[in-house]
Amino acid sequence: MENFKKLLDEAKKCVRCGICNSVCPTYNVLRKESVGPRGRVALIRERATTGDGAGFGKEFAIDLKACTLCGSCLGSCPRDVDVPKLILGARTAVVESEGLSVGAGLVFKNFLAPGKLAGLALKTASRLKRLLLKSSVGENGLLRRFSLPIIGKGRLVPNLADIFFLDRPEVKKLARVEAKEGRPRIGFFAGCGINYLMPEVGVATIKAVTDLGADLIIPSKQVCCGMPALSAGDRKTAKELAIKNLNAFEDEDLDYITTSCATCSNALKSVFLELLGDDPEHQERVQRFTSKVRDVTELLANELSYKDKGDKKEGLVTWHDPCHLSRYQGVREEPRELILKSGYAFKGMKNPCKCCGLGGGLVFSDYELSIEVTKKKAQNILSTKASIVATACPGCIVQLRDALHRYTPKDELIPKVVHVLELL
Amino acid sequence: MSLPPPIKKKLGRIFEPKSISFSKEDLLCYSYDATGESHLPDVVVFPTTAEEISLTLKLANESGFPVIPRGGGSGFTGGTLPVSGGVVISTQRMTSISIDQENLVADVGSGLLTGDLQDEVEELGLFYPPDPTSVKFSTIGGNIAENAGGPRAVKYGTTRDYVLGLEVVLPNGDIVRTGVKTAKGVVGYDLTRLLVGSEGTLGIITKAFLRLIPKPKEKALMYAVFGDLASAADVVSTIIREKITPSTLEFIDGASIRCAEEYVSTGIKSGAEAVLLIETDGTLKSVEDSTALIKKICQENKVLEFRVAKDKKEIKDLWKLRKNLSPALYKIKPTKINEDIVVPRSMLTSLVTGVQEIAEARGVLIVSFGHAGDGNIHVNVMIDKDDPDEAKRGAEAVSDVFDLTLSLGGTISGEHGVGVTKAPYLSRELSSSLLSVMRGIKDVLDPKGILNPGKIFLSPSNKEN
Repeated sequence: MENFKKLLDEAKKCVRCGICNSVCPTYNVLRKESVGPRGRVALIRERATTGDGAGFGKEFAIDLKACTLCGSCLGSCPRDVDVPKLILGARTAVVESEGLSVGAGLVFKNFLAPGKLAGLALKTASRLKRLLLKSSVGENGLLRRFSLPIIGKGRLVPNLADIFFLDRPEVKKLARVEAKEGRPRIGFFAGCGINYLMPEVGVATIKAVTDLGADLIIPSKQVCCGMPALSAGDRKTAKELAIKNLNAFEDEDLDYITTSCATCSNALKSVFLELLGDDPEHQERVQRFTSKVRDVTELLANELSYKDKGDKKEGLVTWHDPCHLSRYQGVREEPRELILKSGYAFKGMKNPCKCCGLGGGLVFSDYELSIEVTKKKAQNILSTKASIVATACPGCIVQLRDALHRYTPKDELIPKVVHVLELL
Repeated sequence: MSLPPPIKKKLGRIFEPKSISFSKEDLLCYSYDATGESHLPDVVVFPTTAEEISLTLKLANESGFPVIPRGGGSGFTGGTLPVSGGVVISTQRMTSISIDQENLVADVGSGLLTGDLQDEVEELGLFYPPDPTSVKFSTIGGNIAENAGGPRAVKYGTTRDYVLGLEVVLPNGDIVRTGVKTAKGVVGYDLTRLLVGSEGTLGIITKAFLRLIPKPKEKALMYAVFGDLASAADVVSTIIREKITPSTLEFIDGASIRCAEEYVSTGIKSGAEAVLLIETDGTLKSVEDSTALIKKICQENKVLEFRVAKDKKEIKDLWKLRKNLSPALYKIKPTKINEDIVVPRSMLTSLVTGVQEIAEARGVLIVSFGHAGDGNIHVNVMIDKDDPDEAKRGAEAVSDVFDLTLSLGGTISGEHGVGVTKAPYLSRELSSSLLSVMRGIKDVLDPKGILNPGKIFLSPSNKEN
């Protein structure tokens, strides 16, 4: 109850004009007030005002979960109501009063820290995956071989890496790197997406950064950024993970810290500060840490001044703005600049900032809604006729691959989805 | 009143499970609109066909429960509030659209967002002009029910001017088609016109046949700042007298400018007492001609600054200036009572100065901006509704503004409708014989008073309104 009360002042700012509903991805699919920002804020306000007397049932938690936390509503609000923060706060309040589901708790605490029990489980899963799943056209992901309860028909699941990024010998070698005169030292935060699913993006990062005359250091004790836990309302675990990461990067004397995942870079830049900024024990450390964080697209375009090499490459590229990069960090120009300098032809899509539909845990809590949100995005991509979609977030990549596999007409070529670094 | 279980059961037979909800969460989410009031309904339904609505209304007549149609829920006068419970019918899933390019008619579901219709037709080089500020989140059905206007009304008229015909479920459950799909039509009474602006009290609109026009090829946006109100008002009158019809002619008063300036950097020259945003559209030649003429008129009327937007970015920035007003106002006071009064264009100066006198007399902040071109000014009384004394003074100021408006030959609502919030003032504008004709019409169509009760007229029992 107390945790809900904290949210009341923010919720009361809403004047219920309804403008936010027009930009909300889930509202526009279901056309139902309770899955739009205005409705969610009304629900949170009622819960904060009347407590258990609100008479809410299980729908309340479901409505709260059906949000991608894309942040579009915040940008549209004349009163600057921070809806994503309210939703995170409400999810946390629900978890604190009702507890986390056992499965989710296990995942956040174990899976996302390399070397632990669940890391082993994932490795086993990686070995077994071919039994149940088959490759899709173009090796963009895997499709089910048989009827599996958790994976719907036609759903493209990401391929679990054969050897995880942080376990690769060439990556382990970079855990400690001698300081060299004139070479900036850049700490690399891999994140779960790159570690488990897309080591190739990590490899491309190593190459891009070292080619530009900097050294990449990949501390071995890093763990998950904590966003999946926080999104589910598990603030306690998110905090623990943040502290572990501070420790992992502390001793390396770094000029910058970078990551090739937009969700992670936002977490490292802002969420860590929000989680630990008021904690006297960590305050100073976290400020020092966050001030060094740059998304890899910023790092390459600004700090390392990536230059056009003048070569022309085959293919038309379009760009998808991850919510955590464009709206949460305000980084929009840098990735476009990188594409233009990469030698590919570029064509922007309609509404590039529209959410891919995966975020906020929606892909886990309601896959059907999540992939329906992506439909419009897929159509906008397809109408550019681009052969490559670039973005900067493994989560978006997974979702866009699945959606394009599903929504591309049979007689058309499915566009390839890559991290922008893979174009350089 | 809450619905007895057997009725809920019968409703459950009309709708698929995913199209009906009794959950407390959903009821709360359909209890409000943009007025800030909240009244819980008993059930929310999400029909996709007129037949489902028809069956619901038939059941309502048999069992006597209220039915409230609702589009985007963005109204300012409470038209969609379930003031006495009942069934809220959300039309938002009725989003069909088909465009007849040969006859320039759009056939659309009433739940389609007006902005979505505009995007679709503009891609075909066509134009649906009505543009209420809520265009991106209000529905065609809601726009028709409230006869929504917007900045372009000065040239293109309001929603009513584009509605050729309607598919409507009458309160008794009959599904009828009013009007025509042709450019002309005079067979029988014009029920289409009656239903437009009827605020969901005479029938539930399920489809609309809308007139489209070719999209103007060019447009230009001008920005003019004045050191006194009279000069800006003179410019407005002269533009109209010179027979130029701008596509928008927006006005921002000195009080608004000063308020906004305290919180956001508007870049408006200091000493400004009025700003006009003027847009013209048409062919390149006509746009150039009227722009030159408007510039001349401004210069002859002591304009402090005059600019024509050079590119899309500047156009966007200028409109942002107007749109930034609302957020800035909320930083001064948390509650905005937005009254959309209209006066004859020639009365603009009297209105704005009169409003400032009311503001001083009642001790509240009032800012005015809006559609000067058609005399439709949004008078915003800024208060904190949690402060009972200020709330009272605010309400008195609103009452004074209505009296002033009517004394200047105007009307108390140009585009928001009467709903709940303006019902107490209806008899100030309409004579008792007109009111009884209107009540008579309502009684013929809805003898049991089940459709959107408590709206427009004070309450069914209160006849002296």
